[in-house]
Amino acid sequence: MLKKIIVSAVVLMFFVTVLLIAATATHADVDIVGTVSSKCVIQTDTGGVYGNPTSDKLSTLPADGGVKPIVRYDVSIGNAYKAKITYPTSFSVSPSLTDTVAWSGSVAVSKVSDAGMSDYDTNKVTYDATSEYALHTAGSTWFETTSAALYGYSKALPGGTYRAVVVAECIAN
Amino acid sequence: MRSLFVILVLLVSPPAQAHEMTPAHPKLTTAFVAGLLKTEMSIFNKRPNVEYYEIGVFDKDWKTIPFVTSYRLMKIKYLTHAKFDVYIREQDAKRAVYLCSLSKLRLDTQRTANVSSKICSRFK
Repeated sequence: MLKKIIVSAVVLMFFVTVLLIAATATHADVDIVGTVSSKCVIQTDTGGVYGNPTSDKLSTLPADGGVKPIVRYDVSIGNAYKAKITYPTSFSVSPSLTDTVAWSGSVAVSKVSDAGMSDYDTNKVTYDATSEYALHTAGSTWFETTSAALYGYSKALPGGTYRAVVVAECIAN
Repeated sequence: MRSLFVILVLLVSPPAQAHEMTPAHPKLTTAFVAGLLKTEMSIFNKRPNVEYYEIGVFDKDWKTIPFVTSYRLMKIKYLTHAKFDVYIREQDAKRAVYLCSLSKLRLDTQRTANVSSKICSRFK
């Protein structure tokens, strides 16, 4: 009885092997088609968080308990795009504020994938809250933004949720 | 050892959140309606906190130019591509310089300093 079971199992394994070989031999070719074209991808690498070091201040600086938002730009071809990054100058969500808010901030390159990008910060054009970079080299560039909001004249910010938005733009040349 | 480090970094890194629009230099071609020109665009949404993208057409001074598309505010699910046609009047074609998509952020995001992404292609 045991001998019969073993023989049956061996025969079954043989047929399964034959079928697998047959299936492999008759496989169909499936093409994978892709194109590389000029494009820009904006990646939100790190979302920012405001710290509240003093009652009248919100800041993304790590020293103030915040987290700097980091945006990565991937460009496939150099000199095809420029990056424009604007730090916030208003809250998108906040409790009702009765006094003015003084905004400050900056944008800087934090990491690059190519040594040719080392002059990005030197050659950036800054106006108002916006920094403009000519992305002359293909690859990835990480930009970090700092943002701080100071409320009134040493006035405590009302309790509630505060949100602000960094605008990262990639504009074709 | 180095490859192990790269694998570890890839495993530990949070998923990237990307916004992509192609082509970079769209070409306007004749549409099936007289007096209109059209171009086909594609957006890839890899931002889990973004569901909607606003489309806009602008001149060299960033003034808006009238255009038609299926939805001006497009719903694009996370990790999906959306292809759409943009129609512009022939008379506006010479003025049209930029075609942009702007991510619309949800209010319920956990981050307090969020990032809005905008990609602009330039007409040939």
